[in-house]
Amino acid sequence: MLRFLMRRTLGAVAILLVISAVTFFLFYAIPRNPALLACGKGVCTEEQLAIVEHNLGIDKAIPVQYWEYMVGIFAGRDFPAGHCPAPCLGFSFRDNRPVLDTIMDRLPTTVSLTIGGAVVFLILGLGLGMLAAARRGTLLDKTVSSTSLVLSSMQIYFLGPLALAVLVYNTGLLPQPSDASAFTEEPWEWFKGLLLPWLVLATIFTANYTRMSRATLIEQLQEDHVRTAKAKGMSRPTVFFRYAWRGSLIPIVTIFGIDLGALFGGAMITEVTFSLHGLGRLAVDSVTQSNLPMLMGVMLFAALMIVLFNIIIDACYALIDPRVRLG
Amino acid sequence: MSSQTVAAEAVPVVEAGAVGRSPGRLMWRRFRRDRVGVISACVVLFFFAVGLLAPVISWLYGKDPYTRYGQLESGLLNEYGYPVKPNGGIDGEFWFGLEPGTGRDVFMELVYGIRTSLLIALVVTILATLTAIVLGIAAGYLGGRWDAAISRLIDLLMAFPQQLFFVAFLPIIATLFVDPRQETPTHVKVISVIIVLWALGWMTLGRILRGATLSLREREFVEAAKVSGASPWRIIRKELLPNVVSPMLVQATYMLPNFVTTAAALSFLGVGLTEPTPDWGRMFATAAEVYRSDITYMFFPGVSMVIFIVAFNLLGDSVRDAFDPKTVR
Repeated sequence: MLRFLMRRTLGAVAILLVISAVTFFLFYAIPRNPALLACGKGVCTEEQLAIVEHNLGIDKAIPVQYWEYMVGIFAGRDFPAGHCPAPCLGFSFRDNRPVLDTIMDRLPTTVSLTIGGAVVFLILGLGLGMLAAARRGTLLDKTVSSTSLVLSSMQIYFLGPLALAVLVYNTGLLPQPSDASAFTEEPWEWFKGLLLPWLVLATIFTANYTRMSRATLIEQLQEDHVRTAKAKGMSRPTVFFRYAWRGSLIPIVTIFGIDLGALFGGAMITEVTFSLHGLGRLAVDSVTQSNLPMLMGVMLFAALMIVLFNIIIDACYALIDPRVRLG
Repeated sequence: MSSQTVAAEAVPVVEAGAVGRSPGRLMWRRFRRDRVGVISACVVLFFFAVGLLAPVISWLYGKDPYTRYGQLESGLLNEYGYPVKPNGGIDGEFWFGLEPGTGRDVFMELVYGIRTSLLIALVVTILATLTAIVLGIAAGYLGGRWDAAISRLIDLLMAFPQQLFFVAFLPIIATLFVDPRQETPTHVKVISVIIVLWALGWMTLGRILRGATLSLREREFVEAAKVSGASPWRIIRKELLPNVVSPMLVQATYMLPNFVTTAAALSFLGVGLTEPTPDWGRMFATAAEVYRSDITYMFFPGVSMVIFIVAFNLLGDSVRDAFDPKTVR
């Protein structure tokens, strides 16, 4: 296990290095002049441009800039506008603070949104999928399958405003979504504020998980070892959970890891729809303000999450399926 | 397997119609018998027809998506810019109502929006499929260094945070064509959306095609073609490509609706297409601003998109089943 983790970590670092280099190159080399982007649609004077260029550190050659950026991540860096301590993902000139500080400020909302949403969609998705697979071909199965088909075709930018209008503004069943309260101080307020985003986010995902867990379970139920277990006279629940369900988990864990990694990097559409201030909103705002250092930082952070969860998935395989050998 | 099919396989001449049917023909026959598949294909074709015939519809309906009818005629919008009539101003003249604020015709906006969205999605699907064919088959057929390079490229692109990539690079791609200090023209925006979606859209199919080619390369008929002196180009064209048509078509039917919703999401987030270009996704951005006072506006783009995506997903499942009748449903 230890060797596996070390090897995978090295691989992850390599991938992150390449991603950072590619992103950096795309951000700072492809635009004819990144400083112009930072100027926005207004017209900058030549002096202003020179200041922006100097602040961004782009008055040097691209490889030098990248090298400085990489050194900054491990050793910290000084900018004309201020100091950026050790894991320095860049310095945002819009708000005069290190990028990482802003990311850390936004992280609680993103983590709350992701974990709460994941709990809802995992329970609902796996539960409904199991139900549909166990009662395959019945009315229940058909209802669950067709509902999840329609729901998985819903988009958050449609379902979100609809839910807000119906549940919040017209009936007042749920309070206005907010990310203001901290979990440790006011857990109930935190729960109420995020309930609607969780439900809407979960609706879309639930449908996918229902479809998938149903399909894999049906496949597993037709496996030879499941038939043997049934023929041996084992009870239905034992066969269902110990044999079939366990086998159906592998593809679900794969998708779950991918989804979780993506969500921890920020759920842009959900956050914009419910005006929550997480990483996704940060990314969108950075794009509209052409805040390149911030965008670069968020991008790297999101890539880190994806790579991290990839490793976690692979480690989980071994826990679920004893045939999988790590190494 | 029933005894009947075994008999049919053993003596194919008995059933006269069964002789000489190509796999494509067989697929078509199976597909035609699938009622859900045929209906969803009709729905999908209807949407494409609407997109294609948008100017004709506009001419018949007598309105266009740009004119601000609500501002030209008094009595249509109230002082806050919302339609005077109930349900978003739906009546015999404005079938789907009026857009709050601008007073444009929602029906025309939707028709032209579908046109823009489907055009983008179709172009991206074609580009992504072509890229996947070239790179996937090159990796699988040439093997060795090519395979390693292309596989690493796919791994790398897969590790990118997708949505973030789209959102972050759209403005940057646009600066390739226009000076950032000037307004970006619509066609540049469309091209930028196409480029970013294409860049991260081909990998799944590429991986599938690589795998398929890898196993096909070792098959006897490819060996036979090689021995008889066929050029690699001929082998790829005549031996490999016909054998990967089915995964290609299936994957493409899953890809297209995905591109529609992703492009719409970009417009919703305000980085894709913007005013005044009619676009399916941009309508959701407008809807998010006005839904508290006029929820009807959101209804038409939302419901039509759900119908389109459901139909396309069902079509994808039917195409898959038609190619591979063994799959469990």
